[in-house]
Amino acid sequence: MTQTETSPSDPIMTVRGMSKWFGNFKALDAIDLDVNRSEVLCLIGPSGSGKSTLLRCLNFLEHYDEGEVRKDGALIGWQEGPSGPRKPLKPAALRAQRHHIGMVFQQFNLWPHFSARQNVAEALRQVKGLSADDANARALDALDKVNLKDKAENFPSGLSGGQQQRVAIARAIAMEPDIMLFDEPTSALDPELVGEVLTVMKDMAAEGMTMVVVTHEMGFAAHAADRVAFLESGRLVTCRPPDEIFGAEPSDARLRSFLQTYRERNVV
Amino acid sequence: MEFDLFLRYGPDLLKGFGITLLCWIIGSAGGAALGFVIACLMRWSAAPVRWVLGAYIELIRGTPFMIQLFLLYYGGPYMGLVLTPVQAGITSFIVYGSPYFAEIFRSGFQAIPPGQIEAARAIGISEFTILRRIMLPQTLVLITAPLTNFVIILSKETAILSVVTVPELLFQTQTMAAETFTYVEPFLALSLFYWLLVVLTAELGRRIEIRATRHLKRAASST
Ligand SMILES: Nc1ncnc2c1ncn2[C@@H]1O[C@H](COP(=O)(O)OP(=O)(O)O)[C@@H](O)[C@H]1O
Ligand SMILES: [Mg+2]
Repeated sequence: MTQTETSPSDPIMTVRGMSKWFGNFKALDAIDLDVNRSEVLCLIGPSGSGKSTLLRCLNFLEHYDEGEVRKDGALIGWQEGPSGPRKPLKPAALRAQRHHIGMVFQQFNLWPHFSARQNVAEALRQVKGLSADDANARALDALDKVNLKDKAENFPSGLSGGQQQRVAIARAIAMEPDIMLFDEPTSALDPELVGEVLTVMKDMAAEGMTMVVVTHEMGFAAHAADRVAFLESGRLVTCRPPDEIFGAEPSDARLRSFLQTYRERNVV
Repeated sequence: MEFDLFLRYGPDLLKGFGITLLCWIIGSAGGAALGFVIACLMRWSAAPVRWVLGAYIELIRGTPFMIQLFLLYYGGPYMGLVLTPVQAGITSFIVYGSPYFAEIFRSGFQAIPPGQIEAARAIGISEFTILRRIMLPQTLVLITAPLTNFVIILSKETAILSVVTVPELLFQTQTMAAETFTYVEPFLALSLFYWLLVVLTAELGRRIEIRATRHLKRAASST
């Protein structure tokens, strides 16, 4: 697999030879990838190429079958040990790993019976064990960061899609994760609401958050990413700085034809 | 109508009503609790446990309540299980209701979009907390109506307990009818009691539903 030669290497996450099967179908094929501290790494590729699966293996929402995913040196999801069949981590140990990995979903996945503030405060209370007052104060801070402090008492049904997604981002950043995973965060949004979410994400990037972003927003990938990884049929074809992906005519035929479909729609 | 009959049999009828209430409330509460545990185990436990529970559900749902009651009350002693009629009545009520309650809880759990649960897992919330804080509050709102409905059905099933001489309402009414050779009045009174139960339960369910969905309505109307 092609690894980028130009990135500064201070990897927070390392993926080595990681493969994933769904039954007989190999969804991910020997992925090698580093995520460097404070970088924005975008994952692009055709639908069904394995972007979501790769992202979900990083926090073990999907169990990878072969290879390793490590964050700060620690193997994600599986118990370290001698070779042979691996055992998954004990639930509490897996949860402890996930506390440091934020995730934002395409469908927001807010809890509808909680207000925006409660959605953000819930994990602070239940996971971090903060008092109600502390959790609420931190929740309001996080909502402020996504410009939604004035909507804190709204329930998800009383928020637009863009606002819901920003609450979901606040829910994740309130936990102070080391890395944030985004799975097509703007794909479910009306076009006029995409901007407000991307703005929040650019702010986070500017503050030095490490971000892995699956996206079809080629403009965001071109301007906000430090590196762009292109996936195709479960393989990581290339991972380079955006100007090498979007600038000159890419040498890889599959990437070329993938980008062509976007150029035809005047997206890039 | 001979109302002095009711004065004479009134205390017995009231006692019967009390026992009906007792069997119904404990049977429903116990059945709901057991059903909830079954629904949770069906969702979170290993495959062998699920198979056993699946067989239990099929068995109980596939046989009439009266047979289960007979088996427990008359068959129990052969297995060293000697129960009073009321004990047998309540126990069989709990067993009989549990698969239906389990099914109601299961459908409630299933109605919660998996993405919500995934989001909770991704942030590191424990399975038990997910159940308590994310799933149950939403499930209970969704299932109030079917739950009320089934509890109402159970209230009328209590009449079957008379076949093992539980001195509940029907049993007392039959005694009164047999001793006085009057039939219309006692059974009218009986109907009135059951009707009262049903109306009260339905009203209770309605109020719970209104309370539980209030914040959802408020949220929707603020859009
Ligand atoms: N839970 C699953 N079971 C079976 N196949 C799956 C599952 N999830 C994803 N797949 C398959 O794996 C491939 C990659 O899916 P996904 O990672 O969602 O792609 P992308 O996010 O790039 O569109 C697809 O062919 C998809 O059908
Ligand atoms: Mg996807």
